[in-house]
Amino acid sequence: MECVVQGIIETQHVEALEILLQGLCGVHRKSLKIHELCLKSGPNLGTSPSEVRLLCDLEQSEPAWRVRHVGGAMRGAGAEQISVNVRTMVESKVSNNVLRLFYALGYKLDHEQLRVGFSFNFQRGAQMTVTVSSVNKMLRLHATDEAVPITPGIQLVEVTAPATSENYSKVAAAMSSFCEYLAPLLHLSKPGVSTGVVPTAAAAAASLMSDGGGTTL
Amino acid sequence: MEGGIVEGGQAEQQTQPVERLNQAVQQQLNLESVKTRAISLFKAVSRILDEFDAIARANSLPKWQDVLSQFSMVNLELYNIVEDIKKVSKAFVVHPKNVNAQNATILPVMLSSKLLPEMEMDDNAKREQLLHGMHNLQLLSQIDKLKTRIDMIGAACESAEKVIADTRKAYFGTRQGPSLLPTLDKVQAAKIQEQESLLRSAVNQGEGLRIPGEQRQITSALPMHLVDVLNVGESSQTFSDGSGMYTKNNPTFSSNNITSQGNLIQASGSQLIGRTAASPGATGSTSFDNTTSPLPYANSPRSGANILNTPSPQQPSQLQQQQQRQKMMQLPQHQQQLLAQQQFRQSSVPGIGQNQLVQLHDLQGQAQQKFQSMHSQHQMQFSQPLGSQQFQSRQLPSGSIQHGLGQSQLNQGNQLNRHLNQFSSPANSALFNAAQSTPNTQMISNMSGMMPSQSLLPRMQQYGLSSGSRSLASQNLSDQMFNLGATNPGSMMPLQQQQQQQQHVSQGTFGNMAANAQNMQPGIVPLQNTQQNHPNYQQQRQQNQ
Repeated sequence: MECVVQGIIETQHVEALEILLQGLCGVHRKSLKIHELCLKSGPNLGTSPSEVRLLCDLEQSEPAWRVRHVGGAMRGAGAEQISVNVRTMVESKVSNNVLRLFYALGYKLDHEQLRVGFSFNFQRGAQMTVTVSSVNKMLRLHATDEAVPITPGIQLVEVTAPATSENYSKVAAAMSSFCEYLAPLLHLSKPGVSTGVVPTAAAAAASLMSDGGGTTL
Repeated sequence: MEGGIVEGGQAEQQTQPVERLNQAVQQQLNLESVKTRAISLFKAVSRILDEFDAIARANSLPKWQDVLSQFSMVNLELYNIVEDIKKVSKAFVVHPKNVNAQNATILPVMLSSKLLPEMEMDDNAKREQLLHGMHNLQLLSQIDKLKTRIDMIGAACESAEKVIADTRKAYFGTRQGPSLLPTLDKVQAAKIQEQESLLRSAVNQGEGLRIPGEQRQITSALPMHLVDVLNVGESSQTFSDGSGMYTKNNPTFSSNNITSQGNLIQASGSQLIGRTAASPGATGSTSFDNTTSPLPYANSPRSGANILNTPSPQQPSQLQQQQQRQKMMQLPQHQQQLLAQQQFRQSSVPGIGQNQLVQLHDLQGQAQQKFQSMHSQHQMQFSQPLGSQQFQSRQLPSGSIQHGLGQSQLNQGNQLNRHLNQFSSPANSALFNAAQSTPNTQMISNMSGMMPSQSLLPRMQQYGLSSGSRSLASQNLSDQMFNLGATNPGSMMPLQQQQQQQQHVSQGTFGNMAANAQNMQPGIVPLQNTQQNHPNYQQQRQQNQ
């Protein structure tokens, strides 16, 4: 299981966000370049289609593949009171012929995207990972070198934390309190709930980028 | 014992009526009545026991009717009391009906009124800490003091949180100078909103990222991490039954793949092998069952649905180059086409004519090109640069169409391509049949035609195709042909061998091949040497080139 929230930030403020995250998390940023292939199962594999995501980490010298299955989010009155999305998630490392395996099983490529950005992995009440990335699409199949951003001016911020069914409320609380620190720059919400940009973002970014003295406007 | 606790609780309740239980009033009444009834029942039972005692001492027969009636009365009273207690005591005690596996282990703990030793120590320590200095006072005042303590702490926490929030707001507020929150104008906000929904839907559901089916062709060079992984034949498109066989057989062979373009070919070769193995007779027979080849007709309907542009056979080189370029990226649709075309091609063997010769020549060229491309890929280069080189050398026409290859060229391209699998399967099946029966000229020439493509295939694909030094192309061809059917699938054909074959192919005519067919037997021996030459195949390849 995992708790997840998403938010958006304008590309011009990404640097300021990085500075803020660096201060909050206390770890070094990790560059990120992930080719994500989303496969959907064919009709021969059951009545309802299932979706599986293959993530290939292109940042290393050797591409590292992972497979990831994301389930539906928790629903109900309790879920509505939590400000994060709690959903089942299974992830595993796989060898590099996983794509072939899934094609052989009957899965078909539904869509693919390339995420380029950075991430912070730290512990603050719970183990959390903040990812700031630009989501790119490929105009031609698998042409990762020619990927263009879907929305050039906006990048995606995602905070995820693994959780179990016993401690997810604690993890959710820890995540919410962390997200409060990012409030001046962006709002984070459950995936699917749009937030818009924060009006104070520009000012907050300016203050973060400045050397700390005086007003910058 | 539970009753005692209950009564104690009740006594405490009476001193602090509203403190303990929320529904205390009701329960208090119940408890008192239960207590009264229990006491009366106790008295009745003890009275009856005394009577029995007296009867026993007097040694007289008891009056059973009286005894039974008294017993029933007592029984009923007890039953009523237990029912009432059950209702009340749920909050206080455990009243198990039976002991089963579920509660057997926990019952002793739950029924005991004494805390576990550790819990008790913990309890005492905490109580000591809490009531430090208050032991002398009365209970009420102790409670009051604790309450005030709690309130104080709560107030302190709240004020601290408030201070932090205010400071945070002030920090960002003062930083921006005049405390005017900048507001986004409506237009900008709407734009951002639109972009945001686009982004979120793309990330979460994949909206806007789906490429329609007809554009789903791998047209450019695959990135590094997919080159080894993605067989050209294994795209996401739906396969026809022929291609379905491909995918079925793929995994079985993919384990042997090495990370290079050879893998692709190997995998495809494995497909073909598997395919061949699945129905060697079928493919073999179909390959020979077809009549006149439609190859000369570029735009004939038999060429398949996806052929949009069919260059004339007089320009095979250009098309071949295009084909080669796309070899790695052709979709299964093309595979299907290729398969069909291959079969066509095989069937056209009997009618060997100028076209086929031309094709053979083209094959050679294609094979060489393919070889180059493979070679480059072995060096982990993208095929695209090579492709461009090839294009230059071959003077490819501009505006190459991805699909639009003529049937003939597709066949040729297929042979050279990684669709070698496709090729090799018919070829292998043909060879298989050939091995089993007397080889005929047609098969040999067909196979020789196939050779260039097969040569491109990585080792394992070729059943018996072992690379090795071959003196004569024809010899090699014949050897290959023989081996395809006969030798174990484990032998691999190094590329160099294929190169030699390619060269030979270009020189060879059908007559040559026919002659070589006769040499099949002797050719077996040298073939077996090829496996040892595996490591050197690259060198040899270069030499050949």
